Amino acid sequence: MTNRYIVDTTLRDGEQSPGIAFSIREKITIAKTLDTLGVARIEAGTPAMGREECRAFEKIKLTCQQAKIIGWNRMNRSDISQSIGCGADIIHVCVPASDLLIREKLRTTRSQVLKTLSACAAAIHAEKRELTIGLEDASRADWDFVVLLIETAQQLGATTLRFSDTVGIMSPSLCKATISRIPDNIDIEVHMHNDLGMAVANSIQGLRCGAKYVDTTLFGIGERAGNCNLEHLLIATQGQLDFGINLDELQWHQADLKPIIYKNNPGRMPDRISAH
Amino acid sequence: MAKLLKANKRKRGRQMVTIIDRTLTTFNTSGMTGQDLNHFCDLLFTCGVNKIELTPDLVNRLNFPLTAAGLKQWLGERRFFLTRILPESLASAGPGTKEPKALWKLEPNELVEKNIPVGKLHSCHHQKIRITGLEDLMTRDYSEVFKALLDSGIDTLDLCPGNHHHCATAIALEWLSAGGQSISCGFANHHHFPPLEEVLMGLKLSQPDLFTGDLSVLSELRDLYEKLSGQPVGKMKAIIGTDIFKVESGIHVDGVLKNPNTYEPFSPQSVGNQREIVLGKHSGRQSLLYKLNDSQLSESAAHSILKHIKFRCTQLGRNLSDRELRTLAREVQNDKQIYC
Repeated sequence: MTNRYIVDTTLRDGEQSPGIAFSIREKITIAKTLDTLGVARIEAGTPAMGREECRAFEKIKLTCQQAKIIGWNRMNRSDISQSIGCGADIIHVCVPASDLLIREKLRTTRSQVLKTLSACAAAIHAEKRELTIGLEDASRADWDFVVLLIETAQQLGATTLRFSDTVGIMSPSLCKATISRIPDNIDIEVHMHNDLGMAVANSIQGLRCGAKYVDTTLFGIGERAGNCNLEHLLIATQGQLDFGINLDELQWHQADLKPIIYKNNPGRMPDRISAH
Repeated sequence: MAKLLKANKRKRGRQMVTIIDRTLTTFNTSGMTGQDLNHFCDLLFTCGVNKIELTPDLVNRLNFPLTAAGLKQWLGERRFFLTRILPESLASAGPGTKEPKALWKLEPNELVEKNIPVGKLHSCHHQKIRITGLEDLMTRDYSEVFKALLDSGIDTLDLCPGNHHHCATAIALEWLSAGGQSISCGFANHHHFPPLEEVLMGLKLSQPDLFTGDLSVLSELRDLYEKLSGQPVGKMKAIIGTDIFKVESGIHVDGVLKNPNTYEPFSPQSVGNQREIVLGKHSGRQSLLYKLNDSQLSESAAHSILKHIKFRCTQLGRNLSDRELRTLAREVQNDKQIYC
């Protein structure tokens, strides 16, 4: 069986799901469980959100024994300083890759994106932290710019490149064709959303085509229709891919975490038929 | 990326495919009224289904005129497909004529279901086959499997992959992309068939010029499905979940308010839903200004209100309602006036 690694983003992208909000104690409980299960990397939050998030982050860092803790950041020096200050093992910088996001959301240009990214990378290396770079909305980006961003990521010393299907529009064949084209001199991580119900299938294709890491959340929580569901991914890849996580143990622990994750949102619980 | 999408489209060619819905075959239909049944079928056809699979019992409830006049014996225990026909005479009416309402007709379902290894297909003598199972296809070289199926010489080949591995939509769409002509689905992952709404949206996004269904009826179909099946649909269910267009995080609200395409793969209206900006732990200033409709709110007041919102939402584990927000905003601003 091939070894691959889970990057769990329940505490960052998962918590961004409307109506889901964790207290510090709840975040620590979830992180501790993920660490015990064998999750390789835990994206514990966005320290730039404020003091509470930083406190949670610091405690998670102290609690987890195995997993590396990722701090998620916009392409912004002040956000990055917060993550460094919280003691994150990995500083992840999210870079809008599609012209749609660059033009409409950031109201900037491709060249400015590259400049800002370089400045962010320098700040991270100055503090001797591991840098990973995420290409937001890569599935709708111009391929030439994606290639330029990948080359830049390598030059800037990023250890991992996250390829994000931010609005969940990819198909398995498109995933295969795309991920296979990324040069193998940087570790690839795939981040798939479930808008068309294909997050698990797309993640599998990404992994089969060379991705070393895959992003998941507990119960598949996340924006809109959610992210790749960890349990579903393990079910679908049983006997084929080894993430170092036992499915039975995950299901056992998920039962305990369900009341924390859904609190006052029983309508969102996945035991309803057809929840993602 | 756009080049790749175009290449896939070229490969697929311009062909119409058959979408079969099987939802009704697994319902407990004892309490279902004829009106609801008719409405459900009508909505399925509207959203792009070509054939609806029915049991003899359901056929009886549709009140076809011939049923009472001896069709019952012909029906027997077999299953049927309900399809739509547009009478040519009406369809070819001149410009300005009101579009004719399609008529329904029955045809026998002659598909034989097989859950067998693809390699053994050559031993099948049936010329109309529905392949079921294939749950683990995504972890195998599925394009080779599809090639073997398409080269098997079988006349009519329908695929109904199981969804126990949560990959049925992907398998269905890849099958059609590879040249498959027929796929069987169930609404809202019913009975672990490929979720109909996901397959239809996948087709709409990949073949917008060929897809003729109207997916804006999906919300109505969901409500009727919940009533008929007695099973609630998950609020985050892809395509039809009631909450999938709620936006909370500051980054996403900022993007969506500038241009909804930034964080929406398709418009809420296209599936009969609505976008809603909600306030919670991850809200930013833009969301607050939008919700309070108050562009004059000072930086410090906004910061203070947001702090309270984040605290309350973390405690409650849910979003704040508009009423709760107004109360909280009033209280925070009053406090500021008293203590500042």
